[in-house]
Amino acid sequence: MLDSVFDDVKRMNKRQFIYQVLSFGMIVSSALMIWKGLMVVTGSESPIVVVLSGSMEPAFHRGDLLFLTNYPEEPVRVGEIVVFKVEGRDIPIVHRVLKLHEKNNGTVKFLTKGDNNSVDDRGLYAQGQLWLTKKDVVGRARGFLPYVGMVTIYMNEYPKFKFAVLACLAVYVLVHRE
Amino acid sequence: MGETNEPVKINKWDGAAAKNAIDDAIREVLTGDLKCNESFALIDGRLSLCALAVGVALYALLWDYLYPFPQSRLVLIICVSSYFILMSILTLYTTFKEKGIFVVAKEKVGNNNTRVWEASSYVKKHDDKYNLVIVMRDSTGKSREASINKSFANYIDTNGAVVQNIVSNEITKLYNSLSSEKKEK
Repeated sequence: MLDSVFDDVKRMNKRQFIYQVLSFGMIVSSALMIWKGLMVVTGSESPIVVVLSGSMEPAFHRGDLLFLTNYPEEPVRVGEIVVFKVEGRDIPIVHRVLKLHEKNNGTVKFLTKGDNNSVDDRGLYAQGQLWLTKKDVVGRARGFLPYVGMVTIYMNEYPKFKFAVLACLAVYVLVHRE
Repeated sequence: MGETNEPVKINKWDGAAAKNAIDDAIREVLTGDLKCNESFALIDGRLSLCALAVGVALYALLWDYLYPFPQSRLVLIICVSSYFILMSILTLYTTFKEKGIFVVAKEKVGNNNTRVWEASSYVKKHDDKYNLVIVMRDSTGKSREASINKSFANYIDTNGAVVQNIVSNEITKLYNSLSSEKKEK
């Protein structure tokens, strides 16, 4: 059974095999370049994020897909939903801006809070950090797509499943000719 | 990969697999029995386009890793746009230059004359007809072509193996008719 799967590969000559590997590479690269292209267009280092917690209910639920932009010329305002990074945390947080101080030279510092949380985010920030600044911001929410992100959440909760799916896809593409 | 001579079993109702197997058989006839030299320029052109595109993507990935996003913006713009330009060039190359040609073979005839044989094939989706077109170009630049349009069942036996004899006969027939036409003119 496994033998017959690799039959196609065995029959290929050198150039066909190289092409097979390259076309797999191009599938991956196309996805990568679309992502990098979105980064350039939106100005955000991560233009699409998935909401992982219920802290912004009822605005966003777990599994919602958010589309972000991060144009430097657009000021941050109170009431906007921002996605920000905190030192020592891998996963960015999606919360609403609660208080904001802006100086004449344009620098801002602001405090955030989850709509569904009873306290503001100072407890979540890095030790001793009281305010967020512009460099912490990944982007501002501009649009959302409900439920789609659940797939990503399940994939992350069951990493083995994720690797199995990815491995199957990779083998299929590498082994099948055209 | 490799040169195994054991017969391969294919499902002749899997259009792509059957097409690939017959293509391979025809290549073998042209470069083996008919003693032509395979020329790889066409496929190498496609391979280098693909490699260049993947290289650009890898470069963008590396650069973005070394100089995180806002800094890498310019490089990313250049890489992303050149990647998509390369992809469109690749599409144009495969549709207008390759046109399904799977083997190009050069043949020396007499004194310094070379003839170029190009074989291309296509199969319509959900169809069992294998369309083969062979084009011969002589050194003066004139070209002649001949084609066969037969079902897969003509080339593949009930065990799912390509019958090399039948393929060889068909190709030799085409080869002879294209070669002799040349003499008449």
